[in-house]
Amino acid sequence: MSQQPEAFRLDAGFWRATALLAIISIALMILVVVYPIGKLLPEASSASLSIDFLFRFMAFFSVPILVFVNGYIIYFCIRYRRRKDEPLDSIGSPIHDHRALEDTWTIVPTILMVALGILSYLAMPQYYLKGKDSAATIEAIGHQFYYEFRYPGLPHAVDNDMYLPLGVPVTIDLTSAESDETRAVIHSFWVPEFRVKQDMIPGMVVPIHFTPIELGTYKLICTEFCGLGHAHMWGYVHVVSRADFDAWWNSQQKNAQTQAHQAINFASGNASSGQALFAQKCTACHNAAPFDQRKVGPGLANLFHDPQHPDLVDGKPANARDVGDILEHGYQGSMGVMPNAQANGLNAKDIADLIAYLQTLK
Amino acid sequence: MASHALTLDDRAYAEQRDIRLLGFLFFLISDSIFFGSLIFAYLYLRNAAPVWPPPGIERPDVYLAAVNSIVLFGSGVTMHVAMEGMRRDRRGQFVGFIVATIVLGTLFVSGQIYEYWHILPVTKWAATTFGASFYTLTGMHGFHVSVGVIFLITVLIQTLRGTYTKDRHFGLTAATLYWHFVDIIWVALFFLFYVY
Amino acid sequence: MATIELAHPASHIHPAPEGFVRKYIFSLDHKVIAVQYFITSGLFFVLAGLLAELIRVQLMQPNNTVLDPATFNEAFSVHGSAMVWLVVIPILTGGFGNLIMPLQIGARDVAFPWLNMLSFWLFPPAGILLFGSFLLGAPQAGWTEYPPISVLASPGTSMWCAAIFLIGVSSTITGLNFLVTIIKMRAPGMTWTRMPLFVWASAVTAFLNFIATANLSISLAVLFIQRTFHVPFYDETRGGSPVLWQHMFWFYSHPAVYIMILPAFGIVSEIIPTMVRRPIFGYKAIAYSSVAIALVSFMVWAHHMFTSGLAQWIQLPFMIMTMIVAIPTGVKVFSWVASLWGGRIRFTSPLLFVLGFLSTFTFGGITGVMLASVPADVHEHGTYFIVAHLHYVLFGGSMFGVFAGLYYWWPKMTGRMLDERLGKIHFWLMFVAFNCTFLPMHWLGLLGMPRRVATYDPIYWHTNLFVSISAFVLGASMLLFAYNAIHSARYGKRAGPNPWGARTLEWMIPSPPPYYNFKELPVVLSGPYDYGKPLPYRDVDPDMIEAAAMPAY
Repeated sequence: MSQQPEAFRLDAGFWRATALLAIISIALMILVVVYPIGKLLPEASSASLSIDFLFRFMAFFSVPILVFVNGYIIYFCIRYRRRKDEPLDSIGSPIHDHRALEDTWTIVPTILMVALGILSYLAMPQYYLKGKDSAATIEAIGHQFYYEFRYPGLPHAVDNDMYLPLGVPVTIDLTSAESDETRAVIHSFWVPEFRVKQDMIPGMVVPIHFTPIELGTYKLICTEFCGLGHAHMWGYVHVVSRADFDAWWNSQQKNAQTQAHQAINFASGNASSGQALFAQKCTACHNAAPFDQRKVGPGLANLFHDPQHPDLVDGKPANARDVGDILEHGYQGSMGVMPNAQANGLNAKDIADLIAYLQTLK
Repeated sequence: MASHALTLDDRAYAEQRDIRLLGFLFFLISDSIFFGSLIFAYLYLRNAAPVWPPPGIERPDVYLAAVNSIVLFGSGVTMHVAMEGMRRDRRGQFVGFIVATIVLGTLFVSGQIYEYWHILPVTKWAATTFGASFYTLTGMHGFHVSVGVIFLITVLIQTLRGTYTKDRHFGLTAATLYWHFVDIIWVALFFLFYVY
Repeated sequence: MATIELAHPASHIHPAPEGFVRKYIFSLDHKVIAVQYFITSGLFFVLAGLLAELIRVQLMQPNNTVLDPATFNEAFSVHGSAMVWLVVIPILTGGFGNLIMPLQIGARDVAFPWLNMLSFWLFPPAGILLFGSFLLGAPQAGWTEYPPISVLASPGTSMWCAAIFLIGVSSTITGLNFLVTIIKMRAPGMTWTRMPLFVWASAVTAFLNFIATANLSISLAVLFIQRTFHVPFYDETRGGSPVLWQHMFWFYSHPAVYIMILPAFGIVSEIIPTMVRRPIFGYKAIAYSSVAIALVSFMVWAHHMFTSGLAQWIQLPFMIMTMIVAIPTGVKVFSWVASLWGGRIRFTSPLLFVLGFLSTFTFGGITGVMLASVPADVHEHGTYFIVAHLHYVLFGGSMFGVFAGLYYWWPKMTGRMLDERLGKIHFWLMFVAFNCTFLPMHWLGLLGMPRRVATYDPIYWHTNLFVSISAFVLGASMLLFAYNAIHSARYGKRAGPNPWGARTLEWMIPSPPPYYNFKELPVVLSGPYDYGKPLPYRDVDPDMIEAAAMPAY
């Protein structure tokens, strides 16, 4: 043993380091308090403000913990490093514990957790389950791979584009449903700007509620893995003025078809545009090759002229209209899953072009 | 009598036995978690169901199960008496009551099989959550009892070969613990499926 | 208060194993089994790591076509499953637990050496089954395999069930084995409060292993019978519920994350006193907090299910317990930092990895608290925020701990030192690349990028590109370790029994140790971390005592 170990004394160097770390912490904590979260990600629902407050609270107290833990590590490593001229067997301080210190760093975090718990508990009713003052309840049903919205009073469902009037509290009932050939799977309903998320679980209906407080169009994202099209499952929530909402409502009443449907003009399809589209959008899953050359989906070379497979995978005959149907609505069944037009980013003209191209393949 | 006993001295044997006993106890605790998980699943499904048993399903007969339970608990008693026989170096008592335990255990499993055969036409494993939980849990238990019977037969054979003595019979201790464990699980299952 | 026993009955040394098969293939020696675990986990680490790099190649730009959607899904599912069950758990428990724990308690082997061998040999078949599932169509729904998808799709999911079931049985047996060993086979005089902290960690982990894993086995068996026989546990159309799987799965999988971190905590607690040459600060706090963490870990599982439609009165206690479990974890971190105070710090490779661990694991713990709060979690769940958090604690925590342990105990295991310079470069490259890879993911998640996606909104492109490039550097940094390991076999400096000048029992025997570990079982007189006092052992070779006095590095 070739050196006197340090007695327990927090020396001036330690307090200088502590002061520096405190200054850094305080600066960052002030930043946390003033940082305009809404500029980064709009606070577009009534729940956003209290949830952002929670984030601020957590960040506020995380900052000193991170600064001091990392800061003391660096300081102690510099201050208490073995110097080159010290022998390798130099001994450090024999201090095993320090009751007051250990009690402090147990009790203070506990108090912080209690506070966090209470604040969190108070924020939960801001969005979870039915809203007490909701003006209406909209059903949101998850499918592979799109959202279906059923408004009370509208004769038909709306796909992927939810319209909400500004300032009106709503409840959304979330579930997941089967389609023709597949069972339902779990999806999720998340609008980052609303800070609200709820999984859509088959066999359950779970309500959430909120009031949209900022105009805008916000992406609605699926955050629970739901199959091959999960990455493509998203929609929009449009928060509009009362007048715009009423206009939308009236147009929905009139239309026999949903927003997403447009008439496809097969005659005007351009095969070379279709070829480019096919290369860009379809080759991830399909080859322009005979049926049996599957990638994810079957080969499409002889789609319209294959005596061995005269029908499409959904059992319908291989004609332009039914192929257009599959392109528009997607397919889910025993052969697998294909995203719909909206997920693939195809409009009516794109569909016509693709069909024209496919018809040229023999 | 002690011809096949290991040549460790007594303290070394005691240490080995304690280690094995603790290991076996931990195994039984782990096995309890096995059953605990399935019991949780059953209670969850039962709680979620609007009506229990589900429509079209009748609760299995509690009297048959009660008789079968008495058989199983009886085998627990015979097991205990057998163990006493070993501790008091009464070989006849030991062998006789081990055989009785094996018989009663086999009777229990047969009773289970009979019950299954009786209710299967209506209550299928895959049709309802009742079938799912009932057959899976009682089946797991029946499997454990069957393994226990094999365990006991092995212990019986070892006894007849003279492996165990009054003071050194860890295999028998383990088998006894296992048998009582299987009994206790049945208490829970009987209550959960036939009474509650 | 210890009663010192004379002539410990277990002091009998059995004859040496003979023949290549008995010595290296079907060995009963815990040290050989440990090496077998290291090699096998190392192989799966490479395979699972390659899957991760493939994922990052796909995610270098939106709408990339390197992996089609099905293969992408299989890649992240097998990556996660393999890392959890074929890498982190086996390396920490089967590898380090086997290698070090018996040595540290002064035992000749574990309580049930034959079961130990069986535990190992269940491991390669499990790995073959898991990776073999690619042949039939690997599972696609993540390592969590939620129904209905896991019931409906991917024939390989049944192989996945079988694989994880096997590795689960292996874990359960090992847990049982290790806890009995620690309770019953400590050297005379080694009371619980004189045990090294790695042994405390091993004991608590062992407890978690044999209690929690049984539940996993049942969950997998039920999934398997539902897939095969259509038994409706998770089928909502016949009275079952997909949420039931979530409860059953997470009841194991939350304790599992502690199985994956507690041994790393133990490794950190060993390396710090050695490299700082002073007692660990707060020994009792660190020891008892491990017990607290293990017990509370069974009461928090539904914090993975805050968006699954649970009733509010259920969410609340889970939130509270999750916040509570952060307290003992924080106590450990603060104690480790305080252990640096007043030391004589030698910046060896093991210590660098420990310092890296302290930084990254603390960050991961903080984001964990951000996930404990239900309303905050609701925003973060299912996004890249979770991916960031889990990698900070499992990679920044567990894997940095693993590398720290490898550098530390390599000389004990092999008799050769790893090259220190290469080790330092490895550390810095890995630490910087790790943070560059996973720090931006917090941001991606909070702003709106979901997880388990093969493509993303183009606004996230540049961040994802940066992450991918960092991930390639991170993967490359592992090659430095591989090279170091192979190089040291021939050219590494020969290590004596105690190159680091440590005080725990594994350093009191030659490197590598003889098959019987201790010629005479030592008697322990006090705790192992009192640098400055004489070594607290009787019946230890005097050469070893001399070696302990002066570290070589």
